[in-house]
Amino acid sequence: MSADTLIPEEPEAPTNRPPSMERVRSWLQRPYARKILILTVVIGFLLLPLAWLLLAAMNQTGAPASEIMKDIEQTVFVFTLVSIPITAFVFAVLVYSLIGWRQISGDEPPMQDSPAIRTNTIGVILWTVASSLLAMFLVVWGLVELAQITANSYGSISADEQPGQKSSEIINVTGQQWVWTFEYPEHNGLTSDILYLPLDRPVYFNVTSKDVIHNFWAVELGVKIDANPGAITQTGVTANKLGTFNVRCAELCGMHHAFMQTQIQVLEQDAFDSWVRESGGKKTS
Amino acid sequence: MSVDTAVETKTVFGAEVPQPPQHGAAGGVMRGLNFGTGLIGGIGLAAVAGWVTAILTPSSASNASFAPMEPTYVYLAVLLGWVVGFMLGMGAFVGPLRWVVGRDITHADAEYMAGKDLGRKRYWKYTTDHKVVGIQYLVVTLFILGFAGLLAMLIRTELGMTWTSLFTPSFYNSMIGTHGIAMIIGMIVVISGPLGNFIVPMMIGARDMAYPRLNALSVWLLVAAVPMLVSSMFMGGIQDGWSVYQPLASQAPVGMLGYQMTIIIFAISTAIASVNLMTTILTMRAKGMTWSRTPIFVYGIFAASVMGLYAFPFFQYAQILGLTDRVFSTSFFDPLNGGSVWLYENLFWLLGHPEVYVILIPSMAVALELMPVFLRKPLFSFNFAVAGIVGVVALSGLVWAHHMYMTGWAPAANYPFMLSTEMISIPVGFLVLVAIGTFWRGTAWTRLPLMAVYAVIFNKMIGGVTGVYLSDVPADQYFHGSMFVVAHFHFMLMGAGLFGAMAGIAFFFPKMTGRILDERVGSIGLWTAFIGFQITFISMFVAGLQGQPRRVLDFDDQFNLSNWISTIGAYIIGIGMLIFLSAIITSWRSGVIASSNPWGSKSLEWQTETPVPLENFPVLPVVTERPYNYGVPDPYEAELESIDEDLTEKAGTK
Ligand SMILES: [Cu+2]
Repeated sequence: MSADTLIPEEPEAPTNRPPSMERVRSWLQRPYARKILILTVVIGFLLLPLAWLLLAAMNQTGAPASEIMKDIEQTVFVFTLVSIPITAFVFAVLVYSLIGWRQISGDEPPMQDSPAIRTNTIGVILWTVASSLLAMFLVVWGLVELAQITANSYGSISADEQPGQKSSEIINVTGQQWVWTFEYPEHNGLTSDILYLPLDRPVYFNVTSKDVIHNFWAVELGVKIDANPGAITQTGVTANKLGTFNVRCAELCGMHHAFMQTQIQVLEQDAFDSWVRESGGKKTS
Repeated sequence: MSVDTAVETKTVFGAEVPQPPQHGAAGGVMRGLNFGTGLIGGIGLAAVAGWVTAILTPSSASNASFAPMEPTYVYLAVLLGWVVGFMLGMGAFVGPLRWVVGRDITHADAEYMAGKDLGRKRYWKYTTDHKVVGIQYLVVTLFILGFAGLLAMLIRTELGMTWTSLFTPSFYNSMIGTHGIAMIIGMIVVISGPLGNFIVPMMIGARDMAYPRLNALSVWLLVAAVPMLVSSMFMGGIQDGWSVYQPLASQAPVGMLGYQMTIIIFAISTAIASVNLMTTILTMRAKGMTWSRTPIFVYGIFAASVMGLYAFPFFQYAQILGLTDRVFSTSFFDPLNGGSVWLYENLFWLLGHPEVYVILIPSMAVALELMPVFLRKPLFSFNFAVAGIVGVVALSGLVWAHHMYMTGWAPAANYPFMLSTEMISIPVGFLVLVAIGTFWRGTAWTRLPLMAVYAVIFNKMIGGVTGVYLSDVPADQYFHGSMFVVAHFHFMLMGAGLFGAMAGIAFFFPKMTGRILDERVGSIGLWTAFIGFQITFISMFVAGLQGQPRRVLDFDDQFNLSNWISTIGAYIIGIGMLIFLSAIITSWRSGVIASSNPWGSKSLEWQTETPVPLENFPVLPVVTERPYNYGVPDPYEAELESIDEDLTEKAGTK
C-alpha cells in the first residue's frame, strides 16, 4: 500500500449521474413510456371531477349537517384524490396495451413472442414503496379522522360538557320492528317518533333495540350505529344546520325494514324548547 | 392359520409384475348406482324420515314462544333423510360398507369407479376421475349461478318498478337472502371446483387427485346441498340476508333450517375438497416441478384451499349453534337468555371475509395464468405474484371485524382492524402490478380469455378503490349498510370474480370439452354483460352515495332514477350472460374441434392429448424449466447494457 492512498480522492464530477438515473433517463426516452405517462395524466384529469361528484351525490338532501359528516366527506374527497393517480396509471396501461403495443387476432398464436421481461427491479421497488406509502397515508389519515370523529361524538368531552350537564342533551334511541322511538330522559321522559335536535348543542344517543338488530343511521348527520337487543351502544353528534333530515334503518330487520325510517328536525334552541313544552316535557334550561 | 402365498401376476411390458391381493369379488350392487338411484334414495329416505317424525312428534310440542315445533322437526328430518339417502343411493358409502364386512374395493372396481369405458354414463355416477368431477362441478356451478342470477333479475325488477310492488316484503327478503348465499356458494366453487379439479392435477403433471373418492364425495355433497337451499324458498325462505344475523334468523320461518343444513353440508364438502387439493399440490407435483416452477394458478388454488379450510369451520359452527337454538331451544345467540348477537357476527365474518379472498384469489390467479400465453411473454415478477398471494392469505384472517365497525361491539378494535384492512391493499396491489407488468410491451393476442382479463383488472381497480372507503371507519360510518357496499362487493365478486371465472372457463374450454368456445358469440356475451355491469353498479354506487340503505324493497323518490338505470343495466347483464351461456352450450355440443394445444401454451396440461385419456399422461412428465418460458430477448435490454458499459468505461478511464 502506497502513501498516496491516504490522500483523499477528488470528489466526483457533478455531471456524472448515478447509473440508475441514467437508466431512468433512457427509459423516459422510449416512445411508449412518454405516451403512457401522458395517457395517465389525461385519464387522471378525466377522473378528477369524481372527487366533487361523489360529494354532490352525498349532499343531495342537505348534508353535511354536522362536523362529523363534514369529516366523513373530507375523507371521501381526499381518498378519491389519492387513488386517482394509481387508478389512472393502471387504466392507462390497459388502454395502451390495446391501442399502443402491437396486437393480433386470429386463430393461431402470434408468430413472434414479446420481450421476455421477467422482472424489473426499479419498477417493482417503485411500486412497492409507492403503494406502501399510499397505504400508510390512508391508515394514518383514517386513524386521525377516527379519533376526531370519536371525540366529536362522545370520546373526549371536556368536563363542563359531560352528559348530564345542561349544555348537552341525552336521547335514548330504541329500535323495534319497525319504528324508532326517541326518548328525552331529561324532559320527563318525553318520547317522540320524530327526532328533534337542538341546533349547535351536543347530543348523546343511547341506542338499543327491543327485538332484532337495527341500525340507527342519521344520514345527513353522519351518525351510524347498530341498535342491538340486550346491549346499549353510544354515540353522539352536534347538529350544526337547521332543517329536516332522515333517519333510516341500515340493518335488515325483517319484513318492513324498508319502511323503518323517520325524520330529523333540527331546531333553534327556542323552537326546541317550545316543542318540549308543547309535548309535555320539562323546559330544558 | 395358513396364508395364501400364490400371488397373481400380470405381464407389463414383457415383465411379470406381482399384483396386490384383492379383497372380495369385483362388481355387485355398486355398479348399478347412479344419480337416478341417488334421487330415489334421497327422496325415499326423506319421505320416510319426515313421516316417522310427524308420527312421533306430539302435536302439542311447542317452543318457548308457543310456536308449534312439528314443522321444524319434520323439515329437519326430511333434510337429513335427503342427504343420507341421496349419498347412499349415489354409492358414496360403498367403500366404508365393504370395509365393515371385511372386503375392499378391488382393482376392477376402482377402474369402474374412475369411469373407465363407461362413456357418458360416468358423468351421472359417483365417478372418481378428476376430469369427470371437474365437469360435474362446472355443471352444478352453472346451475347455482343461473338460479341465483334469476333471483337477481327478480330483485332488480322489483326495485326498478318503483310505482308498484311485485312481491310481498317477506318473499322479497327471502329472494335477497337466497340470491346472496347461492351466489356466494356458486362463486366459491366456480373456479376451484371445475378448474381446480380438472386442470390442477394435469397442470402439476399428476394422474389424478390425491384422494379420488373424496373428490367424488365433495362434488356430490355439493349436489346434495342444492335442493336443500332451493327447498327453503318454499318453506318460508331465508328472509334475513345471506348473513342471517341473529336474532332475526331465529324469528324466521322453518326455511332457515334449509340455509343452516346447506351451510353445514357445504362446509363439509369444502373441507374435503380443500384437503384434497392441498394434498395433491403438496405431494403430487411432477418430478422437477419445484416451487419456483409451479404455475401461479396452482398457488392460487392452494391459497384458496388454505383459506377455505380455516374459515369455513367458523361458519359451520355458527350455523350448528343457530340450528340447535331453533330446534332444541338452546340460547347461544338469544340475547334475552344470555346469548350474544355479537358472537354470531364474529363467527360469521371470520368466514365472511376470508371467503372474499377464496373467491378473488383463484380468479386473479387464473387471469395471471393465462396472460403469459396470450401476450407471449413470461409472467412479470413471478416472486411478486407469489408474495401477493401469500400476503393476502396471511392477512385474510385478521380483517373480519371491518364488517363490524358500526356494531358497537368493540369501538377500540376499530383502530387495529382499520390498519390490517388497509394493509391488505399492499399484497393485492402486488397482483395488480404483476398483471400490468405482464401487459407491459406485450403483443396482445386479443382472444376472448385475454379480453376478459382486461375486464377483470378494470373492475378490480374500481372495486379496490371503493373498498378503501369502506375499510376506513369514518367513511364507513356513512357507507355501511348502504347500496354503496352492495355495488362495491359486486365489483369485487362479480366484476373481478365472475369475469375471471369466465376468462378461465373460456381459456380451459378446449381442454375440458375438446372444442373451442365460440369466439364471436362468447365475446358478444362477455361485453354485453360488461357494459350492463358498469351501468348497474355504477348507478348503484350513486344510490348508495345518496343514502339508500341496502336490502330495501321500497325507498324515497330521490333514489328512483338511479334504481331505474340500475335495473336497465341488470337486464343487459342478464342478456349478456344468456348469450355467454348459449356460447358455452352450443360450442360444447357442436363447436369447432380443438387441437390438443390450441393456444400454444407451454404448460403441462396442454401437452397431453385432447380428449384427455383416463390417467392424463402416458408417461409422467418431468419439468426442467420455469413456467411461462415465452419471449424473445428484450431489445432495450441491450441498450441498457451498453449504457452500463459506457458508465463503467467512464469510471475506468477516469
Ligand atoms: Cu330496523
